[in-house]
Amino acid sequence: MLKWYEQNVADSDVVISSRVRLARNLEEFPFSGKLQEEQAVTLVNKVKKITNLLSEKDHRKYYSCNISTLSEIDKSAMVERHIVSPLLATKEQTTGLILSEDETISIMINEEDHVRIQAIVGGMNLEEAYQEADKIDDIAYDELHFAYDEKYGYLTECPTNAGTGMRASCMVFLPALSSARMIQKLIEEVGKYGMTIRGIYGEGSKSLGNMYQISNQKTLGNSEREIIDNLKRIVTQIVKQERKRREYMLSVNSDEIQDQVYRTYGILKYARQISSDDAMNLLSQLKFGVDAKLIKLDRECNIHKLMMGVQPGSLQWTLGKNVGSLSRDQARAEYIRKELPTII
Amino acid sequence: MLCDRCQKRDAQVLYTEIINGTKKEQHLCEECAAEYTSFQMDKPFLNSEFSLGDLLSTLFDNYPATGTKNATQNIPNIVCNKCNTTYEEFLQKGKFGCADCYRSFNSYLGKTLKGIQGAEVHTGKRPKGYVTSTDRILKGLSESEKLSIKLQEAIEKEEFEEAARLRDLIKEIKKEEIGNA
Repeated sequence: MLKWYEQNVADSDVVISSRVRLARNLEEFPFSGKLQEEQAVTLVNKVKKITNLLSEKDHRKYYSCNISTLSEIDKSAMVERHIVSPLLATKEQTTGLILSEDETISIMINEEDHVRIQAIVGGMNLEEAYQEADKIDDIAYDELHFAYDEKYGYLTECPTNAGTGMRASCMVFLPALSSARMIQKLIEEVGKYGMTIRGIYGEGSKSLGNMYQISNQKTLGNSEREIIDNLKRIVTQIVKQERKRREYMLSVNSDEIQDQVYRTYGILKYARQISSDDAMNLLSQLKFGVDAKLIKLDRECNIHKLMMGVQPGSLQWTLGKNVGSLSRDQARAEYIRKELPTII
Repeated sequence: MLCDRCQKRDAQVLYTEIINGTKKEQHLCEECAAEYTSFQMDKPFLNSEFSLGDLLSTLFDNYPATGTKNATQNIPNIVCNKCNTTYEEFLQKGKFGCADCYRSFNSYLGKTLKGIQGAEVHTGKRPKGYVTSTDRILKGLSESEKLSIKLQEAIEKEEFEEAARLRDLIKEIKKEEIGNA
């Protein structure tokens, strides 16, 4: 079964993926900050029990595990692929995970909230992401009875998540707007509509390879439908602006840009060691060139998949072992050389 | 021009250092500039986080921010009866202790939530099969009482034909009820 990042999807020149996360808590346990370790164990076991039910009702295979049973490499590779959050991977208490085989659905157990249901799909596709998450929420509710209040909606540890408990987001690739230094302005602009723009690993993370995450900030007062529609409208506008900016850049500077893209390809194809930040920037330039058809490759190449592959955790996961940063830079260069198609 | 330090990336910063009158100029890329100098490119994602607790306490204009002299004076002294979280603790940490805290702090929450979320009432999804208090009250009512509510609604909406139909229906049901009694 193809993972979401291996499929060809619409608008992938700008929108890499769409994601919906629902925060839920079980009525009978105190929230995470007040949860004792024994209670955490009971909570994780209780939630993990729905794994078979999910496989049966959702017609795809689900797996579950305790995060502590995973190696450090597995954990960081999962964080890089957005399957688990950095918080879940590093929390000292017992935490758990339920994951669908196509990696579309992941359920984090004992994160900031007891249960965080996440659905992630490729391209601009917020509706599908919501439908997936909503379906899992319904199946899980029958067994777990999430804390809900008529007035405040789904009850969460942090008041910023109460109500729908929903964070919807799109991961967008904005090389042209970034190079025109328009991101700061964009942040202010979307803020007026109750949306935020952040780096790709969420709160506090920096932007890598011109990738950004746009998400709703407020979770109370609007329905799920309204939140999704608003976000979709904003993202569609950003897609338009980014495309317009790319066209403009190409109309005034296409020879220089093409030269830059070929040089970038040269470094990626022949460098003997590359750091992950460097690789992200170079791959970002190459993606721009490929999407703009400035460079032709002999086969289709999913550059976003390469961007995930060059991250330290994913790289070591592919290598099957833990390696130091220098040999990691060498291994990364080798991995890119092998994966990169030839120019025609 | 390539960066003077790493010789790999484009130089984007001209860094001038004057030590004891000696001037030294270097062309650096963003990464090397960040690493070797105090220079910071505008990275809007860093250092922009602040504690929600600070925000929450400032939202309460009636209550001075925590940490000041009379911080605790005006904060209502409420404790969640399930997890013992105090209202003050909630304001400081920006986190509830359990689902019951929402009920325990109910009378003070509206303003807090309005401050952070711009709204205080959920309008989205309701769990499948969830019975609201309105549903519960309706369930306990007799047939004619339910119809009276509908009649009231119809009058408010100025749907007078529907209202007339409901009025006649109620009359008939009441007759039956009296007959049965």
